[in-house]
Amino acid sequence: MNPPGPLPPGPRTPQGAPHGTPSDAPALTRRGFLRKGTAAVAGVSAVAGALSPLRRLDPDDLPSFEQLFQKHYKEMTAEEKQAALARIAAEVERRHHVRPTVSDPPPLAGVEYVYALNISRCIGCRKCVHACVRENNQSRAPEIQYIRVLKMQKGSIDVETAEHHYRPALVPEHDSYYMPVQCHQCKQPPCVKVCPVEATWQEPDGITVIDYDWCIGCRYCEAACPYWARRFNFSEPTIPEGELNPQIAYLSNRPRRKGVMEKCTYCLHRVRLGRMPACVEVCPTGSRKFGNVLDPDSEVRYILEHKRVYVFKEDVGTLPRFFYYFDERGSRYHEPIAPVRPAGEAESEATGALPAREAADDR
Amino acid sequence: MTGPGNTASGRRSAGDAIRAVLVPVVLFGVAGVLASDIWRFTSPVGLPPHVPAWATDPATVRQPALRPEIVVAGYTYRCSDCHDLFPSPPETTRSLTQHRHIILKHGINARCFNCHHLTNRDALVDDWGHEIPYDQPQLVCAKCHGPVYRDWLHGSHGRTSGYWDTQRGSQERPTCTRCHDPHIPPFPPMPPAPGPHTLRMGDQAPHAQPWETDPLRVYRRGPGSAAEADTPGDATTDALSDKEPPESTKPAPGGHSRGADR
Repeated sequence: MNPPGPLPPGPRTPQGAPHGTPSDAPALTRRGFLRKGTAAVAGVSAVAGALSPLRRLDPDDLPSFEQLFQKHYKEMTAEEKQAALARIAAEVERRHHVRPTVSDPPPLAGVEYVYALNISRCIGCRKCVHACVRENNQSRAPEIQYIRVLKMQKGSIDVETAEHHYRPALVPEHDSYYMPVQCHQCKQPPCVKVCPVEATWQEPDGITVIDYDWCIGCRYCEAACPYWARRFNFSEPTIPEGELNPQIAYLSNRPRRKGVMEKCTYCLHRVRLGRMPACVEVCPTGSRKFGNVLDPDSEVRYILEHKRVYVFKEDVGTLPRFFYYFDERGSRYHEPIAPVRPAGEAESEATGALPAREAADDR
Repeated sequence: MTGPGNTASGRRSAGDAIRAVLVPVVLFGVAGVLASDIWRFTSPVGLPPHVPAWATDPATVRQPALRPEIVVAGYTYRCSDCHDLFPSPPETTRSLTQHRHIILKHGINARCFNCHHLTNRDALVDDWGHEIPYDQPQLVCAKCHGPVYRDWLHGSHGRTSGYWDTQRGSQERPTCTRCHDPHIPPFPPMPPAPGPHTLRMGDQAPHAQPWETDPLRVYRRGPGSAAEADTPGDATTDALSDKEPPESTKPAPGGHSRGADR
């Protein structure tokens, strides 16, 4: 390029056009090398740049060999189950820095769990929600909660108008009652029916469980559930340091990974040892009742036989093992059963009556 | 022929030159942008709301002593220590001169000696004047609240904690006064724990207007209810005031436990 030639042939390659003789292989020129080489280097670096998020890939995020080739829970032998539990324990210890107790309690013979919830007594304080999150190692961010407390209008059972973002200064509110909804552990579970890989099934004691290692995250079960009881891990779950519950079981509260479904299991790791679920333990009003429905002396049996029981969405035919019940009178003793009167009347009456009575007491 | 060919090749060569520069520049630019994380992924997931410790505390609302005792200035006295010396008048339609901290709001049950024994102040009283010990408050409550007592006996009312399977462990059934203040029996209202704050929906405020979701709206006279609700300034009914955002009026978390007075 140093000797400036005549204009017409200037940038033309030597092997070519003037004579029109086709050559077998294009000779490599300096210019062509630079041009194509630069483009190639730029292309490679663009690909490398596109792959650059892989820099942040933690090898820990990848499933281990054992996890990839682990069998379905129901096909595992006892030794393979023990190996899986040991692997889970090691993973939990590596990620959460606590030594967990991983177990796989079997279902008890002659036991079928049933839940009863007294809508007359529930005050909507949401303590059950957070005790459940704590007990079952749900993700805090993004937030996953198994229990959703619906604030309902008194005199209505229309859940279309329910509100679950309520945040008054104090609960209960006088015009509302509260209906917590969680997994109903149906006898005819539609979520089990739709699962394409049989990653979820019903245990002999009535609890529907998920093998989190077998779930492919298709979310069919979430769509099939009429109670919105199933939750999906859209991103990697986070549990704050030190808040992990170390008593974990394979089928219930072991830490989940991104991309799998999870659901309430009636605290399977507790109830199969004879204990109450966490939501029952924490309920301040005693609205939540739990027990073995096959035991004729159990609390839930008394409730089902003697109280007025309401099955939520009974018409969908899922035969839930979760029942709502009522007390005899109204909602709460101290509250008026009659509908609230217009604002003016009620207020004048209230403000008029109270000071008079106090004055009388002072005398 | 040379003329047009020359200009065509000149154009083509100029295009080649531009392409030779442009392609690497664009690719290098893409690589630089991708590698430098200009659009760094920021998760839309918000920070989890702070969950107060009481939200996961399984303790009962009240921890009454269940003993006929009173603590005054650090000293613990039995009720009979004073009441044996200073008998109080038998009927109490008057206001209290002692124990002024006790507020009795128990409906029509406005007499002290409906529950407290008339002569033995260390005991409660049943319907026939016999004594009921302080640690058996359910026997006193059962005098009026029969259906609730029946439900409590069978486990339908009140808390049950511990083991559902009593073969494997102990079960606790707290008595009435663990949840109800006998002088103000309704279950005390409490602030609700934080509500859902989900990935897709964020922290949603409750519905601003109660009639937006009112299932009874078709049964109401339309303009009347709407007109009332449109003027929230003067109407301070419970239904409306509860809908206001309660940031400023957030009570203390411990406010729901009303101490250990019997």
